[in-house]
Amino acid sequence: MEKGIAVTMSGANVVETAQVLTVRLIEMGRNVEHLDAAMAARFGSIKAASYACEVLVRNGVVVIVTHPKLKPKPPCLDIEVDANDTPDFAAEKVLDELAAAGVIVMESSDYSPEEEERIRKRLADLGYIE
Amino acid sequence: MARRPVPGAFLRSRPIEGAFLRSRPTQRVLVIGLDCATPQFVFGPQRFDLPNLQGLVENGCWGLLRSCDPPITAPAWAVMMSGRDPGALGCYGFRNRKDHSYDGMVTANSAAIRVRRAWDIASRYGKKVVVLGVPQTYPVTPVNGWMVADFLAPDTNADYTYPKALKAEIEASVGGYIIDVKDFRTEKKDWLLEQLHALMHNRFDLARHLMTTKPWDFFMMVEMGVDRLHHGFWKFCDPMHPKYEPGNPYENAIRDYYIAMDRRIGELLALVGPETAVMVVSDHGAKAMLGGVCINQWLINEGYLRVADPLGIRKRIEDCSIDWSQTRAWASGGYYGRVFLNVAGREPQGIVRPDEYEALRKEMMERIEAMPGPGGKPLGNKAVRPEDLYKTVNGIAPDLIVYFGDLSWRSVGAVGFDSIYTFENDTGPDDANHDFHGIFIMDDRSGRGGEEVKGLQILDVAPTVLDLLGVDVPEDMQGKII
Repeated sequence: MEKGIAVTMSGANVVETAQVLTVRLIEMGRNVEHLDAAMAARFGSIKAASYACEVLVRNGVVVIVTHPKLKPKPPCLDIEVDANDTPDFAAEKVLDELAAAGVIVMESSDYSPEEEERIRKRLADLGYIE
Repeated sequence: MARRPVPGAFLRSRPIEGAFLRSRPTQRVLVIGLDCATPQFVFGPQRFDLPNLQGLVENGCWGLLRSCDPPITAPAWAVMMSGRDPGALGCYGFRNRKDHSYDGMVTANSAAIRVRRAWDIASRYGKKVVVLGVPQTYPVTPVNGWMVADFLAPDTNADYTYPKALKAEIEASVGGYIIDVKDFRTEKKDWLLEQLHALMHNRFDLARHLMTTKPWDFFMMVEMGVDRLHHGFWKFCDPMHPKYEPGNPYENAIRDYYIAMDRRIGELLALVGPETAVMVVSDHGAKAMLGGVCINQWLINEGYLRVADPLGIRKRIEDCSIDWSQTRAWASGGYYGRVFLNVAGREPQGIVRPDEYEALRKEMMERIEAMPGPGGKPLGNKAVRPEDLYKTVNGIAPDLIVYFGDLSWRSVGAVGFDSIYTFENDTGPDDANHDFHGIFIMDDRSGRGGEEVKGLQILDVAPTVLDLLGVDVPEDMQGKII
């Protein structure tokens, strides 16, 4: 089973950053839940929402928490979003933290064999290599 | 294609410990990179009429910018924007050995640059950045802003922008992105010239679009057409080139291109305010290419390399049947030479004993440097050991880096030649080689009044950019603030 984690986000552009992060994680094939104020209200109490978060994390889900009063148990990553960061960039920073924590693995950026050969030929045509 | 992160690239949002103190007020920074723009056309007595560049020179400061070794697009732009030499980057050209196997060569794209470049650091400090066409930026990496990749993108079907949505915007705004000129090795010069101008205008159109629609603190673009222009048209324009013919129809092709480019630079300059520092830089210069030295043919003739292929048939060295049990060295070609030794315990079938390694390298350096030219006089070659060039040597460097005839001759990797000298090019015409010095112009709005700065190194650009931006310069950057 994949490793779950809670990511608590605070600071500027939290909602937008959480949305971008959710999409990026789903693209990576991860199960993601966004626990915001509206979602927490449906659990009836902060305590119940915290318990739900704990269960989700235990089952390999990445839970993005933007409810300011919800303090998940570890494993948890606390992120302060910088006001100067675009939501895309802020989300990438979180992804790097998740990669460093071993929660996600970034894909290789190697060329495919066909692309590698095409680039090699281009570089030879340009005279850079022979 | 997904990205691979630079380790720790985004993990640090605090100022870097041990950074240099800042030396001036914070400014926005515009860097216009002109790949291969060469000093003789911009600064020298034969300089072209380039009023916009000249205006920057007269208001700011300027100088010859010593490139890295080797003075090649990759790694030069990465050296420039990381402030680390090729040894520190572990990147010695466009193709590098990934291991000590004989065929393990990989293309050095952005994933090969494992340190933060100026835009990564500026992003970390919350600066908004735009990066357009800078070599070794494909695959794109996240920045606090926008990035358009370089010609190492396979094609425009690839994800060549960050964020991805920028790609559609580019297609809608400037009709698409021209990655590079296609079919560059051609005798159809009218066609080539048209393609080069189209490439240049597309790059400046896109720069203008990004400059006017995105908020930015740091904006950097690189125009690749100058390099392709030099390689494709040098012999038509340089009376010193052996193939120059006075009165040929392309005699002013290079001049006219520079003038057209200067106009486009002027348009960008008109868009930035006086609070913006402007730099115009090139990664290396250019000079006439007199011919090629067939390095592997020389190694065969001198008994260092043994191939089983029939004599007289031209072949890439990669396609030859090399008898590794009888081979002590082989080489790669390009604008400079790379010699690799076949070392026992290092290469799969190495025969050079480790205790013989240094003596063999010394012997080869001496023989390469003593190599006569076609006329019998020494060609003026230089063979250098990587550890003598770089502070550290990461990755797998060539055992020797070779410049033939002070870069007036290229290195030919193919075999099957009658002579070690060739004046033709199997892959098509190419009339210029790279030179060690590029250009540096900076108007930081401090009124430097046309000051010539001597001793500039390509390593100095990144620390200067960060200093202008008001960002602390990492202590391990090797350059100095200009």
